[in-house]
Amino acid sequence: MTDTHLDRDVLSALQEVMEEDYPVLLDTFLADSEERLQILREAPDAAQLISAAHSFKGSSSNMGALRLARLCHELEQRAQEKAPKGLAKLVGEIDGEFALVRPLYEAERQRSLASDSSNRCC
Amino acid sequence: MSDLAPPFEPLTVLIAEDSAADRLLLSGIVRRQGHAVLLAANGAEALELYRQARPHLVLMDALMPVMDGFDAARQIKQLAGETLVPIIFLTSLSENEGLARCLEAGGDDFLAKPYDQVVLAAKIKAMDRLRRLQATVLEQRDQIVRHHRYLLNEQRVAKAVFDKVAHSGCLSAPNIRYRQSPYALFNGDLLLAAFTPAGDMHVLLGDFTGHGLPAAVGAMPLAEVFYGMTAKGFGLAQILREMNAKLKRILPVDMFCCATLLSLSFQRRSAEVWNGGMPDGYLHDIASGERRPLKSRHLPLGVLSAQAFDDRTEVFPMALGDRVLLLTDGVIDTCDSAEQLFGVERLLQVFADNLEPGQLFEEIEQALRDFGGQARDDVSMLEISLVEPAQLTPPALVYSDSGQSSPLDWSLSFEFRAESLKRFDPLPYLLQLLLEVHGLRAQSAALHSVLAELYSNALEHGVLGLDSRLKRDVRGFARYYQLRNARLEQLQEGYLRVHVQVAPQGTGGCLVIEVEDSGHGFDVQRVMDRPLDLGRLSGRGVSLIRQLSRNASWSDDGRRARVEFSWEAQA
Amino acid sequence: MSVNTQVSEDGRKLTISIKGRFDFAKHQEFRDSFGQINKQLNSVVVDLKEATYLDSSALGMLLLLRDHAGGDESDVRLVNSSSDVRKILAISNFDKLFDIS
Repeated sequence: MTDTHLDRDVLSALQEVMEEDYPVLLDTFLADSEERLQILREAPDAAQLISAAHSFKGSSSNMGALRLARLCHELEQRAQEKAPKGLAKLVGEIDGEFALVRPLYEAERQRSLASDSSNRCC
Repeated sequence: MSDLAPPFEPLTVLIAEDSAADRLLLSGIVRRQGHAVLLAANGAEALELYRQARPHLVLMDALMPVMDGFDAARQIKQLAGETLVPIIFLTSLSENEGLARCLEAGGDDFLAKPYDQVVLAAKIKAMDRLRRLQATVLEQRDQIVRHHRYLLNEQRVAKAVFDKVAHSGCLSAPNIRYRQSPYALFNGDLLLAAFTPAGDMHVLLGDFTGHGLPAAVGAMPLAEVFYGMTAKGFGLAQILREMNAKLKRILPVDMFCCATLLSLSFQRRSAEVWNGGMPDGYLHDIASGERRPLKSRHLPLGVLSAQAFDDRTEVFPMALGDRVLLLTDGVIDTCDSAEQLFGVERLLQVFADNLEPGQLFEEIEQALRDFGGQARDDVSMLEISLVEPAQLTPPALVYSDSGQSSPLDWSLSFEFRAESLKRFDPLPYLLQLLLEVHGLRAQSAALHSVLAELYSNALEHGVLGLDSRLKRDVRGFARYYQLRNARLEQLQEGYLRVHVQVAPQGTGGCLVIEVEDSGHGFDVQRVMDRPLDLGRLSGRGVSLIRQLSRNASWSDDGRRARVEFSWEAQA
Repeated sequence: MSVNTQVSEDGRKLTISIKGRFDFAKHQEFRDSFGQINKQLNSVVVDLKEATYLDSSALGMLLLLRDHAGGDESDVRLVNSSSDVRKILAISNFDKLFDIS
């Protein structure tokens, strides 16, 4: 089972909805995600971990980062078990996945700004 | 083909979502759909924004810091009160429990992440339809409440007008007891009572079809006829004809008035009854204990044309202390929770168990309460007793003239022949004329009584040839009045002449009345020799005439009667 | 529908059947059934076999029917009345206006 890292269809739908605010959306997502990752890395109590994982799952799925969303879901489930195991490893995977998709979003942001300005020329 | 979809109306949507990116995205989606957006990052902010701005719809993230979506939703629903503010929960909770929590907290729907804009648009539309439906329901309810208040007010006004037109007459007389709800009028129940100029009492218990103002509206003209004609000395038959004609004329075809009319004569000790469509009345003979039902023999008032109307009454003798009980069908029709009717049998049982006549009303009411029936507004009851005339004080007649002009020296003669005698009672007109003589006004009761006696004697014993000895018992009474009606209907020949003369006498004046009939006469001396005894049922009322007038005399073998009334100068 | 109408084959007789409580709630339906009354009709029959109860507004409706059917010249019959219904009709003496059986 290979998840898509970044679903392009979702992105184009997002762009259509947000129009000129599309770049802002991307920026906001990236900033939010950094914060959440920070929380995950600091390994706080279970409740905070679950909450952050849940939240991250939600926004990544909205933004088309499917594999990221799935990993967060797994973390959320595992952290609710009586004797959770392998949480740190999972956080590491999430970290890695985000590092992978982050440049993709940044590139997307550049692309949209460029096409925007080129549109404005006409 | 269905109707065109209603025109698009933009809504104000409150979005409560703690993830900034998701909030931004959602706001973009909703704005793109044409709506205005308010943003909150947690439950507390959402609540505050709701309080200030009262948006139409809320998209609420379930899990938020400070105050979560469930709490916020509960509080927002409370704030909204009767208004429906749809709340759509946003959740990536996939477990059923999570979804159940959403609904329990007052959520109306939920939307899963990732957000699908098509689904969201559809849900917003559906929720908005519900919201508008609720708003319509509330508006209509408020309208209904307003209209109801207007209606109640209209009824109050109508009742005030009615109370002026149809004052309670003599319902407060010592020989009458009655029960009636203050708003019985709006159930069509009508209770009227009035003295005639002769000191008799006329009573009407009526029940109009319908409810509310349509039922009440017919009561006013009816009351006017009843009071007006009773005050002038008209008999039941004429009053009935007039009331029927009036109602037939003014009411729509499907409306009518069931009624029982009663004329109680304290001097003659009789009750004259007409019942059209009402439940049985009861005539209680104290001596024998028997309660004779007064049955409905006629169609209600306002149904038949004047030609077809049947004004025949039944007459019953009464002794001192005897009572007549009348009631509307509200008593019989009282239902308990099992939809059983109180019914006539239970009422008869109350009669049978009754030991103290004065307690009958209370016992009937207690029986109704014991039956457990639902209290109704249309339970009206009346009980009237025959008492000595001296116990009653009829009000003095009120005259509408200035008292200046009074005819003091005149005479009048007229003759009524068969056809007129059948359909016409000249007494009220004659009396109106006589009361123009101011000196006679103080004696108007006696005048009415004497004239009525003279007239009925001349008509019944004279022209119709009825024997008063027939009236020795109840059956005889009934037979007598049946014969009277029958003979009157078939009358071909015969006449009745009335001669009236008013002349000054000393400082006052004197009235002479002569009544002559075409009958066979009677043995005057024999009747005069009988001691004055008003306890007997029969008798030519000769005693009464002799008591109430001066110099009563009979001539021409009893075919002509002559009486006098005189008065002193007015102070 | 608790008020049913049926015209006879020769078009001369209209039968109106009432089911259940004959009271104000039936007013509109009953009035609508008059619409079938026309000059060709000789008689109207109201079948009360399944009528459980009559109140004063029902009596009013019968008067309306009679009026539409020609008033004094009309021929309106009330048939199959139960004993309860008969009692109600008897108290108001409606047998003087309608043929009741």
